[in-house]
Amino acid sequence: MPVGQALDHATSLLPWCVSAWLLGVGLYAILTSRHFVHLIGCLSVVQSSTYVLLLAAGYRKGAQAPIFYSHPPGIAVDPVLQALVLTDVVIGATVTALLLALVLQLHKRRGTLDPERLRPMRR
Amino acid sequence: MSPRVRVLLFALAVLCLAPAFAHVALHLPRFGAHPLPYGDAINAAGTRERHVTNMVSAVNFDYRGFDTLGEEFMLLGAVTGTATLLRGTRGERKEVPQQVPGRPVRARSDAVVLVARLMGTTTVLFGVYVALHAMTTPGGGFQGGVIVSSGLLLVFLAEGYRGWRRAMRSEILDACEGSGATLYALCGFASMLAGLPFLQNILPLGKVKDLFAGGLMLVENAGVAFAVAGGFAVLFLEFLEETRVEADGDDEEEKEA
Repeated sequence: MPVGQALDHATSLLPWCVSAWLLGVGLYAILTSRHFVHLIGCLSVVQSSTYVLLLAAGYRKGAQAPIFYSHPPGIAVDPVLQALVLTDVVIGATVTALLLALVLQLHKRRGTLDPERLRPMRR
Repeated sequence: MSPRVRVLLFALAVLCLAPAFAHVALHLPRFGAHPLPYGDAINAAGTRERHVTNMVSAVNFDYRGFDTLGEEFMLLGAVTGTATLLRGTRGERKEVPQQVPGRPVRARSDAVVLVARLMGTTTVLFGVYVALHAMTTPGGGFQGGVIVSSGLLLVFLAEGYRGWRRAMRSEILDACEGSGATLYALCGFASMLAGLPFLQNILPLGKVKDLFAGGLMLVENAGVAFAVAGGFAVLFLEFLEETRVEADGDDEEEKEA
């Protein structure tokens, strides 16, 4: 296999690997997390793996944006996946806020934010 | 389960899933050359059928409008949950203490005030611009709403807590959030009243490339913009209110009064 083709093959795999890597490191960090605010940050990392996956699936080489204002309708990247990611980002932000509110309540009630020191994790 | 066992289990799961992932990743279509039948169908027909040039908005507010309704109510649910959780312990007092007793008011630097005042208004204006141009150029209610609410947060940086609270009435923000989501749902019922399926466009579509093309999509977009801007502003307000709660040692007498 020529070098160019092999390189093409490798870059073809890259988006899926990035997405899987984000999911993996996010989950690993959640497992080993010692602080709930850190844990919520990790959850956002896990979430962003879906953004990478969706946008990569909708990408098309050499295509234009799916906005036909300055150029006529033609071959463009997938608007359905972009719309999905767009709403996902906004919802993700509000859900993060909800989780942070839960963390605030937890801190008020129990005085700790370490998952290991709270049931059911506490041994 | 000890952390060590947990990590071991995780490693085991990764080892089990890795071959499956490798198999799928190697057999997926080449990156940048996927068959995209739905996207292509919308790209081909969107401008002709719906008279809008931004296909992402066409998907959000028309082709998959029902989905967006669900997302709209997820947003409402998350914001309501956050507000309930935070207000629950604080109580829903009308009078919030402008200044927590015993806590010093730090002066903001003039540079911060200047930049925040300039950027605050500009950001809100830009957000409105982005929200208005949903149907023609990149933009829409979701993006515009978030930009508007971050502009409101800059007002806090410029004016400090007291000035910010004077400008932000929580009732108005709540109403913004709720009525935006309601407006979206009412759009759907309006179509049903006209004897058409839920969320079918019943308004005149207008001219292609016109700012006000898109018919019912414009109303839905406005609903989303209000709901997102109001929702995020409610979140900022509730979290900032949280910093105004007296700590245990702050002032006991003030608390009882």
